[in-house]
Amino acid sequence: MEKVVIIRYAEIHLKGKNRGFFERVFTVNLERAMRGLRHELRRTSGRYLVENFDAERIDEVCDRISRVFGVHSYSVGYKVQSGLDEIYAVAKEVCPAEGTFKVETHRADKKFPMTSMEINAAIGGRLLSERAGLKVDVHRPNAYVYIDVRENGTALVFGEFMKGPGGMPVGTAGKGLLLISGGIDSPVAGYLMAKRGMTVECLHFHSYPYTNEQAKEKVVELTKILSRYSGTAALRTVSVTHIQEEIHKRCAEDLMITLLRRFMYRIAERVAKKIGGGCLITGESLGQVASQTIEGITSSNSVVTLPVLRPLIGFDKEEIITRSVAMGAYETSVLPFEDCCTVFLPEFPAIKPKMSYILEEESKLDVEGLLEEAMGTMKVIRIGEEKGTY
Amino acid sequence: MGRQIIYLDNAATTRPNARATERAGVFLTERYFNPSALYSDGFSVGVELKKAREFLLSRVVDPTAYDLTFTSCGTEADNQAVFCCGKRGNVVTTAGEHAAIYASCTELKNRGVEPRFVPVLPDGGVDPEALLRAVDEKTSLVSVIHVNNETGAINPIAQLAKRVKEKNPRALFHADGVQAYGKIPVRLPKEVDLYSVSAHKIGGLKGTGALIHKKGVHLSPYLFGGGQENGLRSGTENVFGVMTFRYAAEEKFASLDRDCERIGELRERLFSGLDGRLFRRLSPQNGTPYILTVSAEGLRGEVLQHMLSDEGLIVGTGSACSSRHRYSRVMTACGYTEKTLDGVLRLSFSPETTLEEVETAAKILNETAARLKQKTE
Repeated sequence: MEKVVIIRYAEIHLKGKNRGFFERVFTVNLERAMRGLRHELRRTSGRYLVENFDAERIDEVCDRISRVFGVHSYSVGYKVQSGLDEIYAVAKEVCPAEGTFKVETHRADKKFPMTSMEINAAIGGRLLSERAGLKVDVHRPNAYVYIDVRENGTALVFGEFMKGPGGMPVGTAGKGLLLISGGIDSPVAGYLMAKRGMTVECLHFHSYPYTNEQAKEKVVELTKILSRYSGTAALRTVSVTHIQEEIHKRCAEDLMITLLRRFMYRIAERVAKKIGGGCLITGESLGQVASQTIEGITSSNSVVTLPVLRPLIGFDKEEIITRSVAMGAYETSVLPFEDCCTVFLPEFPAIKPKMSYILEEESKLDVEGLLEEAMGTMKVIRIGEEKGTY
Repeated sequence: MGRQIIYLDNAATTRPNARATERAGVFLTERYFNPSALYSDGFSVGVELKKAREFLLSRVVDPTAYDLTFTSCGTEADNQAVFCCGKRGNVVTTAGEHAAIYASCTELKNRGVEPRFVPVLPDGGVDPEALLRAVDEKTSLVSVIHVNNETGAINPIAQLAKRVKEKNPRALFHADGVQAYGKIPVRLPKEVDLYSVSAHKIGGLKGTGALIHKKGVHLSPYLFGGGQENGLRSGTENVFGVMTFRYAAEEKFASLDRDCERIGELRERLFSGLDGRLFRRLSPQNGTPYILTVSAEGLRGEVLQHMLSDEGLIVGTGSACSSRHRYSRVMTACGYTEKTLDGVLRLSFSPETTLEEVETAAKILNETAARLKQKTE
């Protein structure tokens, strides 16, 4: 008897003629997730089977699978020769010692001498006779024993269905550039877009020496966490220090954030185009902070032509935190390193800035010059093999 | 690092003394035996540890009257003192302590012991009268930092210990000597029961500290196991660390008075080179010569620290151990305004610091602070 993991996929079956493409990407993603673990991945009718892994690393295997978008559910089970005794031997492992249960058989191999119902009865009966605490309940059992008799003379026996993350395989919905800060929101925004199949690359703005190395390290860490789901290859960092200093020196204080965000969007668009990204992704949530009003969003949006996706726009903080915890980013997100220095923060930021006012203040700056200078500070940090510093 | 730097954060840690590590090297390469082993090679390493212990003790106390327990750091020594001796009633300490004492005394609350934090004076030294007032018949331990690691103020621990004992002879007296041992002249009177020291502040290695304790003071173990360190601190001894500590201390103590005088001059030289319109002195004149704390008022210390490091000058911004908080707890306790607290820089020296370095440092400090001021005002 050999331990295996059975993986079922989510929405792929909906994709008529493109199905081959989706399945190929999904296979690549599963292989990538399993990198470094001994295994064999096999596609069988409508599902995947992970075999030949080190049994003591089963938790790791499951953990990796549970992060691959497109996985609807998965089960840990056994692969045995399809004989009744062999099946029973592992059914005992899968079935709990007491409580209600149900045996459910699927027989793909129609040459098998018993029908599905007969197998159910035979295995269920033997379990009942050996374990006094067990009771059959075909409607609402506490536990299932699933038996899948396959055509190649083997059978899969498994119990629990574990829920996968759902969604679409990453790489099937283009590439987006996530503006990532050290906060809670942006990694979640990246996660949600990756869930729809988008490859997410990351861009972080820093203002060293007004922000520190720890803050950058935290963003690297968050990108790594995100990349376990999102196929992220690199984190790019760009310094907006001089832009902030110039805004501080030349423009109205209350527009610091508004103007800075316009610069960030412009830079992001340039970076996105460079790496073949089709959109920007932000963690904005309407009304959360002064710059995330509809006026603020209008002001930033108007400087770019690429679409800006804001998957969190209608979420409140609690919902975002729940997702952040679930994806494993929360603990890192709340580390106390500022990614934005309070030196330049206005006491009263403009909440509903008028466009004419913004444009007038912005005209005091050499926008193109500052953009080019900022682009020159770009550093690329490969995720997983960390290169480069500020 | 490859680049030329001026290192003025010696209160955080010092560069290990190369002669000391070289002398101790034999304990890595040839005499690597377990000092608790009974065969002669192991036993002889144990003998070396014993000699090192006596040497380190003899520099500040009579080694026949005190013991020394090696620990993994100053923090561990402080914790052992607090949790072994602060078991009932109340523990009196100051608002100017290093986090190792402050946090462990705060933890005492959860263990049914009342911690009492006595206010400090503006220079970071404890207010002696306030300290004495806080001591009563229920006090089990008094702990006072010897040299304040953030301001450099020296507390008169000998005198304080005597007065504490006059008021409550049963109270134990502990001092955190991490910034004092091997740096300023120290001779502990019999009223000081416990004293914490650390190797890496005087050219030793990180990972080596010690708790000096008077014979007869009952200590209980903090780590249990093979019974090393007279049962007080189980775990195979860090022989290389201890031997490096011993050799580094040997050099430091040999030139202690001379270093004090010269470094005191460097400190004043640096301060007089600073632009008075940009920097305010917070360290007392009669504090340790090794620390000069100033404030670039109105500027952010951390931003300045980054800019200075880009210029090749490495300085501290208060205590590195508590750099997660915006304002240093200790500097806040000294009563400074936010404007002053924001700009705190700690410049700390070692015997390796040269006159040329402090002169260049003053220039870099002036230029950088002026530049930042111009950008952010």
